[in-house]
Amino acid sequence: MKIIQKAFTTISLLVTLLVFSSSAYAACGKVKLGDFDWDSANVHTAITQFILEKGYGCKVEVTKGSTSPIMAALYDQQLDIVTEVWRDNLVQQIEDNIAKGNIIELGINTPESGQGFYVDKATSDKYGLKHVNDMKNTKIAALFADPEAPGKGRMTSCISGWTCYTINLVKHKVYGLDKLYTNFDPGSGGALDAAIAGGFKKGKPVFTYYWEPTGLMGKVDLVKLKEPAYEAKCWSEMMAVVEDIKANGPEVYKPTCASAYVDMALTKAASTRFANKPASKPVLDFIRKYSIPTAMVNSSLAFYIDESGGDMEETAINFLSNSNIWENWVPSDVASKVKAAL
Amino acid sequence: MKTNWKYWIPICFVAFWGLIVISYRYAKPRYKPDNISDLLNDFSWLINWPKWLDFPLMQPINSGFDWLIMEYGLFFEGINYFLLGLYTTMKNSVVALPWPLVVILVIVMTYFVSGKKMSTTILIGFCTFFIGFLSPRYWDKAIMTTCIVFIGIFFCLVIGIPIGIAMARKPKLRKMILPVLDLMQTIPSFCYLIPGILLFGLGAVPAIISIFVYAAPPLIRLTDLGIRLVDKEIVEAADAFGASKKQKLWGVQIPLALPNIMQGVNQSVMMALAMVVIASMVGTRGIGDEVLLGLQQLNVGMATEAGIAIVLLAIIFDRVTQAYGDKIQDKTKPKNIKKV
Repeated sequence: MKIIQKAFTTISLLVTLLVFSSSAYAACGKVKLGDFDWDSANVHTAITQFILEKGYGCKVEVTKGSTSPIMAALYDQQLDIVTEVWRDNLVQQIEDNIAKGNIIELGINTPESGQGFYVDKATSDKYGLKHVNDMKNTKIAALFADPEAPGKGRMTSCISGWTCYTINLVKHKVYGLDKLYTNFDPGSGGALDAAIAGGFKKGKPVFTYYWEPTGLMGKVDLVKLKEPAYEAKCWSEMMAVVEDIKANGPEVYKPTCASAYVDMALTKAASTRFANKPASKPVLDFIRKYSIPTAMVNSSLAFYIDESGGDMEETAINFLSNSNIWENWVPSDVASKVKAAL
Repeated sequence: MKTNWKYWIPICFVAFWGLIVISYRYAKPRYKPDNISDLLNDFSWLINWPKWLDFPLMQPINSGFDWLIMEYGLFFEGINYFLLGLYTTMKNSVVALPWPLVVILVIVMTYFVSGKKMSTTILIGFCTFFIGFLSPRYWDKAIMTTCIVFIGIFFCLVIGIPIGIAMARKPKLRKMILPVLDLMQTIPSFCYLIPGILLFGLGAVPAIISIFVYAAPPLIRLTDLGIRLVDKEIVEAADAFGASKKQKLWGVQIPLALPNIMQGVNQSVMMALAMVVIASMVGTRGIGDEVLLGLQQLNVGMATEAGIAIVLLAIIFDRVTQAYGDKIQDKTKPKNIKKV
């Protein structure tokens, strides 16, 4: 019996020691990152994760999902940081939640990004499609024929739960495209990418809503169609209609003005509970400074698709080893730890 | 039949080493040690799985897939055209009908299919009405879903039942097909939904294909099982009476296996319905996209409402196939034979 007791005490002592030493090691604690189902967000999350883990010794937990659930979890304090927020698509929500004290914003992540209607370059050149008005033609619509809606063309649109789906719906009506094209919901981000990539592989005309920075954008040749220039007043007028439709269904549409998507800056956000913890201060300082130019994001995405073999961690390592802009985001001791880990 | 291990062990061994050599050969240079002999001096690669020990499967699949699209694009286009034509004609003709007529048609069909069972007929009529009653938007979408399930199940029956019969007759074939069925049932549906989009575009066709992949296995399994479970004595008796193979199959085995086959059809239909909901993530129109929309907008009420509509649809499919199964079982029961 004695031996068992002794062994038991020794083991429990050892376990306590282990627990203590590991918690002392992870001074930063646990950070819960929210990630989305598109690749530019994945790149930022991977880079942030690498720096937090290797530089700050944090334990990082990444949760991936589509916009609504992840943002809701952030508002609900279940997640700590989201590194890529498409703020302009979510303006209402974000401002409400800042006002309620649920989240704080941490500055710009990617200074400019684009979204809009795109046509593949070959078709655009052949038929001179440069502006959304060029699409208003039954012959052009026939090029993009929607097999499930005879007599109409198909524009592969945004995912129906995303705000951009409703924005595209309103734009179609304002631009007079709704009679000619279906605003086709592809169901998920992966399906939208596959639809575009499939069109290119088969050499079929592609008319789609899309955005950049994305990895696919570096691989296929899409031409962005010009729209009436962005204008804040017009946009907010349109967004009022969009929010109304989102709440009450497409029947409540009323004629409005519409313009191109703004070249928006993507931002970062943290939950208030996390931000108020004193231990999170160094992490927040780092996230605040974190910002990568669009071209760099695009090249990282291209590396991810073509060279990394689908390994996000490797993409992050590649970015960190080939660029030094990140050294300005962190104190020098953290930078040297990160470098050592590369 | 005994496996001859004397030959198989060396073959497996060689194949295994071949795979390792291939993975080393095709690994990126920066993952590999400068010299292969370093592996014997530095054993750190035994701790974490070394990055060079990575079988290069992704690239060949990608390029193979590109090749498939390039070379056989027209073939897939043909399938696409055919299935989509079938689907749109079917859908448009049902959607064009006035809804009370559709409800009445479903009731009348159930009445006769179930062998004039009043309880089933009333239940089905009620469920059908309730789908539109839940939300008028669901009516057309439920019809779309039903059409996709119908076409998918049609292919399951036409292809699945003969395969099941063949498996029951040839044990060797069964051994070969069973792992394929396991694969079809367990591989995550997105693995074939996304290539489905590349080949067939967004919409109903990838859904029909995935219904076949996902829903055919239970039907094949239960057909196979049903035929093998037919009493040996009965089959022997048929032999003794000089029945030909064909007569034995159609007159004895299939009728006696019908309860199991109908169970397989029922399971197939249920799985097809589940797949249609997943397929809404690749742009398949139907009642599944209401659930998806509810999820994406965090609208619990909407998702639940659409979920109930799917359950109603499932009840309709389930009751009708079960009732039909019971009916033909009664019909094909051997008559004037006393049970021993």
